[in-house]
Amino acid sequence: MAEQGAADLGNNNNNKPEASEGTIIKVTVKTPKDKEEIAIAEDASVTQFKEEISKRFKAKQDQLVLIFAGKILKDGDSLSQHGIKDGLTVHLVIKTAHNTSASSSTSNQGGNSTTSSPAANPITSLSHRLSPAGGFGDLASLAGLGMGSANFMELQQQMQRQLMSNPEMLSQIMENPLVQNMMSNPDLMRQMIMANPQMQQLMERNPEISHMLNNPELMRQTMELARNPAMMQEMMRNQDRALSNLESIPGGYNALRRMYTDIQEPMFSAAREQFGNNPFSALGGNSDSGAQPSRTENREPLPNPWGPPNSSNPSESGGGTTGSTSTSGATNPSVSNPLGVNPGSMFNSPGMQSLLQQISENPQLMQNMLSAPYMRSMMQSLAQNPELASQVMMNNPLFAGNPQLQEQFRSQLPIFLQQMQNPEALSVMANPRAMQALMQIQQGLQTLQTEAPGLMPSLMTSGIPGVPTGGAVPAENPASSPRNGTVRDHTHILKLPPYQTPEVRFQTQLDQLNAMGFINREANLQALIATGGDINAAIERLLGSQPS
Amino acid sequence: MQCAGPPVCCCCCAFLGATRSDVHTSVCFWTRLKKMAASSGVKVPRNFRLLEELEEGQKGEGDGTVSWGLEDDEDMTLTRWTGMIIGPARTNYENRIYSLKVECGPRYPETAPTVRFVTKISMNGINNSNGTVDSRSIPILAKWQNSYSIKIVLQELRRLMMSKENMKLPQPPEGQTYST
Repeated sequence: MAEQGAADLGNNNNNKPEASEGTIIKVTVKTPKDKEEIAIAEDASVTQFKEEISKRFKAKQDQLVLIFAGKILKDGDSLSQHGIKDGLTVHLVIKTAHNTSASSSTSNQGGNSTTSSPAANPITSLSHRLSPAGGFGDLASLAGLGMGSANFMELQQQMQRQLMSNPEMLSQIMENPLVQNMMSNPDLMRQMIMANPQMQQLMERNPEISHMLNNPELMRQTMELARNPAMMQEMMRNQDRALSNLESIPGGYNALRRMYTDIQEPMFSAAREQFGNNPFSALGGNSDSGAQPSRTENREPLPNPWGPPNSSNPSESGGGTTGSTSTSGATNPSVSNPLGVNPGSMFNSPGMQSLLQQISENPQLMQNMLSAPYMRSMMQSLAQNPELASQVMMNNPLFAGNPQLQEQFRSQLPIFLQQMQNPEALSVMANPRAMQALMQIQQGLQTLQTEAPGLMPSLMTSGIPGVPTGGAVPAENPASSPRNGTVRDHTHILKLPPYQTPEVRFQTQLDQLNAMGFINREANLQALIATGGDINAAIERLLGSQPS
Repeated sequence: MQCAGPPVCCCCCAFLGATRSDVHTSVCFWTRLKKMAASSGVKVPRNFRLLEELEEGQKGEGDGTVSWGLEDDEDMTLTRWTGMIIGPARTNYENRIYSLKVECGPRYPETAPTVRFVTKISMNGINNSNGTVDSRSIPILAKWQNSYSIKIVLQELRRLMMSKENMKLPQPPEGQTYST
């Protein structure tokens, strides 16, 4: 019956031949981005259909979600069950890895709280995570001991939990001279905050915030606060009280809500995004803490009768706490800056190494990370202060047990730091193609190493970067070349293109936007710069700036 | 059953008593008739409209970000529909697939359908505990016109996901549904 209907339908519309069991039908598969026509047997199962689709769209089968007429097609079903016939369209969603982190993180968290995971496994698995940043790579594979998870988001949460549960660690971090140094430098703090594009957006919308950020007195107070977790808790408590007091004022509740949604939320999520959904990252004594208390400070001044003398406390931390409790793991991993979370043990690699993996998946991340001014200043202060840097390293508990490592690292340290200073190096790291090429080279080298171990030493001596072998044997690798050698060679090899102005880089995109009718070249350029050349995002930005 | 163009009344009778597959056949022809009728201001019968929407849903008209179809293929009344919205990029709904139930009552399309989310979502105008869409808070449901359709409702909901007030709302973990 149904078939007859389809056939008739076909005849009425397209004069197609009558379909019958077992024949091939052509089904259009549409994603939000493109569409393909796929020929499949009429009586095929959804699984077979997905196989075809995964070939055509170059995605894994388990990443595919098919929708037809408002229903999700399950693997066990057949196409005819859903009435999928010749000429009809099926919608496809390709689930990208990082968006399934919500479900995977919940399952992994259970296992992560124990640090007893076998050390061997992480090391071997980590050795596969070749890092473009050779120096980092060594450390990364080493320090994977005890932390087995792959997903950076989980790690962040894990670290956060550890921090929370271990107040000594917290105070240790705070006492770390590096952190203190950072904290006491208002310029640095301000730079960090301003570096976040969301923050910038926020600042455009709410000029009070930029005003606040520019007020050094206030910044200093804020940082004082950040330094002292106890004081911060006290302040939060006071603010909570003030907040509840506010609610009783007629109309006050609405004002609060408004404040929350207008200001606190975007800032909160901006901070959250940057530090990977870590609402407690402030406690880790990083730049986010600058954002949090500064956020609380800069509200419409509602005098707080109970406020501590150093701040004019406005009120939304109540909103802040509700905001943080409603945080769920899923959104926007983007640039999760390990520095942000725990600058004291910045090479604490579970973070690093999955960051590196993420970086290799998304070179844009690296670029963002490196272009952040705080990174620069951090590197600068580290370089100027090798003592400090080595202290940082030593403090890292993972190094503690391994003096050999420490030695090696110490010797490499000055070179390493110098390297970080080298703008060439930085631009290499920022160049996604270069990074990818580096990755490929390293992967190739590793393969070579397994295939032809005798060849390696000769390769090494010619200056090609030593492959960071498994964490257990860095010492055996005399040419795990310091980063500078690596990068310089690469720079030489890769012959980086000279830096072009945004206008030149985005020339094609600008033209396209023009053709689409966005005639405001300035705005187009701004949008393109902000989105890094992504046309779709730029269009959304341009449209978003108009009232919807 | 081939509809070759008999007088309207006869076809209507046959139509209303017909099985769904037959109805499919009728649609194509009557789509054209309906278009003529609509342009001349005649009210379009409910079933005609719904069949047309069914066909559109199966052909995947639109940009591929929403999908809709009958919940039960044997539903002769064409009342219960399921819809899907693919969460828009650069929002907290990104990459998620939202399942909805749309009910087109007997007075559709004169009256708006009732819409309910099955997948849990946090969004203005959607009841947090059971997923029902508040017809008064969604503009096109509040000011329904009979030229609107299920597709338009779904697309509008998707557009609202991209609005500033919704796009950054923290969302419940993926995969949860309302219990009703």
